[in-house]
Amino acid sequence: MPNQIYDVIVIGTGAGGGMAIHTLCQAGAKVCALNASRRLNPGKDFRNHRKPYDMPFRGFGEPAKRKQWIGYMDNEYTEGIWEHEIVFTTAPGTEWTWRRCFAVGGKTNFWGRSSARFSDIDFRAASRDGYDVDWPITYDEIAPYYSRVERMIGVASTVQNRPSNPDGEYLPPMNFRCIDRILESGSHKVGIPYLPDRIAQLTVPHAGHPACHYCANCTEGCDVGAFFSTPWFFLPAAEKSGNLDLRTNALCKNILVDENGHAKGVAYIDRNTKQEVEVYGKAVVLAASCVESARIVLNSKSRHWPDGIANSSGQAGRNLCDHLYGTTARGYFPQLLGQPSFPDNVSSSTVAWMPRWQNLDNPRKEKFIRGYSVYPDGGCGEFPGYFDEIDGFGRDYKRQIKRRYPTPVSFYIQAPTQRSDANYVDIDPAVKDAYGIPAARLHFAWDKNTLLMWEHGKHSCEQLLRASGAEYLGSAAEPDTPGTSLHETGTLRMGNDPKRFVTNRFGQAHDVPNLYVCDASVFPNCTDKTTTISILAFTLRTVEYLVENLKKS
Amino acid sequence: MANQGSDRRAVLQMIAKAAAASQFPGFSRWMFGQQHEHAESGTVPPRAANYQPSYFSASEYRTIDILTGLIIPHDESPGAQEAGASEFIDFLAAHGEEQIQQPMRDGLKWLDAAARKSYGAGFAALAPEQQSEILKRVAYRDGAAQGDGEGRAFFRLIRRYTVMGYYTSRAGLSELDYPGLQLYSQSPACPHTGDPEHRHLPPPRV
Repeated sequence: MPNQIYDVIVIGTGAGGGMAIHTLCQAGAKVCALNASRRLNPGKDFRNHRKPYDMPFRGFGEPAKRKQWIGYMDNEYTEGIWEHEIVFTTAPGTEWTWRRCFAVGGKTNFWGRSSARFSDIDFRAASRDGYDVDWPITYDEIAPYYSRVERMIGVASTVQNRPSNPDGEYLPPMNFRCIDRILESGSHKVGIPYLPDRIAQLTVPHAGHPACHYCANCTEGCDVGAFFSTPWFFLPAAEKSGNLDLRTNALCKNILVDENGHAKGVAYIDRNTKQEVEVYGKAVVLAASCVESARIVLNSKSRHWPDGIANSSGQAGRNLCDHLYGTTARGYFPQLLGQPSFPDNVSSSTVAWMPRWQNLDNPRKEKFIRGYSVYPDGGCGEFPGYFDEIDGFGRDYKRQIKRRYPTPVSFYIQAPTQRSDANYVDIDPAVKDAYGIPAARLHFAWDKNTLLMWEHGKHSCEQLLRASGAEYLGSAAEPDTPGTSLHETGTLRMGNDPKRFVTNRFGQAHDVPNLYVCDASVFPNCTDKTTTISILAFTLRTVEYLVENLKKS
Repeated sequence: MANQGSDRRAVLQMIAKAAAASQFPGFSRWMFGQQHEHAESGTVPPRAANYQPSYFSASEYRTIDILTGLIIPHDESPGAQEAGASEFIDFLAAHGEEQIQQPMRDGLKWLDAAARKSYGAGFAALAPEQQSEILKRVAYRDGAAQGDGEGRAFFRLIRRYTVMGYYTSRAGLSELDYPGLQLYSQSPACPHTGDPEHRHLPPPRV
């Protein structure tokens, strides 16, 4: 079918692409989806309850391969899943750690599952504190989409009435573990909220999917689909509808335009044959993830769009934001020394969180603007990582390791960066990937505001540990490398003014009305919340708008 | 994807394991662990006497094996020797783990020199009490014998890899009573109702 014109071409099959495919196929649209790598087989590619001693290198990985791993999720259990071939570069002075999963389903196969809604305190932050711009959308407008997404994917939590965290429609929460009960008690003394996280992990069977069995190691893939991913939740039904042509190993090169400068299709490289292929459609949904989508836009140059498609504003690739991640405090609970092991770490999930508590009533109360959230972690893990903190050897050393086993506790901060002219993505003029496509180049550094949050977070978490009776053992010397969170936002951000923003309030390109963006690149900035559930909600809204437009045309 | 049956998963898993095992024939104990997936926890196969090290010399390997046993001994539960920690160390070194190639060799030389100086024989030939005496000099941050940087660094190195080998073995995970990779019908909840601060727990077991 060389000349078939699809209704919509969707670039990417992760949260945004998967939701777009799901919504479009249900609406009867003919969809061609392009995915840059292969399909995964949960029975083979995921961890599947394999124990360390089932692995040749006990999970530590072959030394030569380990050196190339990108962060903790790229490991012996997930070998071959993370992208290493499609290069990116960093500007001098920029550090950027970036795990990309280009397999079908993208990062939804391995995501952290924390799923809090954005709120008006996020959307109207600029009005509150005067920095940057408001979002072109209100919470009331997006709330119904969050509800529908929560019903589709299943999110476990409780109603909490927090000013920064609108409540949604939740499955029963995960139970608090010993460390949660202890920290909850301490939190009352220091005035920090300590609550069940909103987590897309099925505590009860939901929408045809089984409940979680709490085996742990979720971020190495779920073999039964007990948390949301597009291959488990969306793509099978879309393929069954007969409306989906899903092309794998199809690496998007650029968006093609017609004589009016509108999108008419996509050129991609078939990674198996290395041939360039063109597909045509009435509309294009760009959902390759924040930085990759910017790269595609900037590489889509034509007579109409010398600086990249739909980039008359010059803002494509700009405004890159990210979450600062890092261990703000760690320690152990003497109360639990020598107690029996308890399955309190087995869901490897954010059972609890400390949702933003700063600058809520007064947006300028702290030295920094906006706010951050924190995730606690601890309990009986798979490996006694504290072994070097105990002196000695022999029988006593072995006993000390066992005594400490139930006690570890740590905190991980999620702090948003603020928009800055210094943080952006462009195209490296000198570097192309293995398929001849010019590489993305990242320019990024933490801003002062975010580093003030990091300091504040370290202090707050130390206070909480001490108030909870823990032995405080310090914090990480530095935050994690930028890029670690995988929560990049802003490179194609939405706003009402076509001169200042790439996309409008529906995620539709101002310049190119049949080009829609369905990933975190449309978010004007980074909040203290994770991005996936918002990508799903915003995409649902964008794609239903797209369907209406298709019907009209 | 969604209709991937559990039987098929089990088969694929067995194939993957068999393939992994066939590539690493030296692993008597690990292969045993793989073949006896459902053995009672704590069951450890008898020590294979004929392991042939592929990176270290026979005498280096012998000393490494003794060290792993001194660091995590057999007491009420199996220790690092039964768990094959020395095989793990040799295997990693043979596959390019630079930290335990030359540094380990240098450390073993230091250890033998220290043994000769104190007791007139190589480390492996000493009585266990004498071996422990040598380790004690380098095993404690605030110990009396400060200043032996090389010995301390070597001790930390061998201990690190012993811990890695032991606590990822069937015996080590059983020693910790690792609660993961099992099936739970609901998310595990703190059982200590009425004691949120956990100040009044039963006496420690360990």
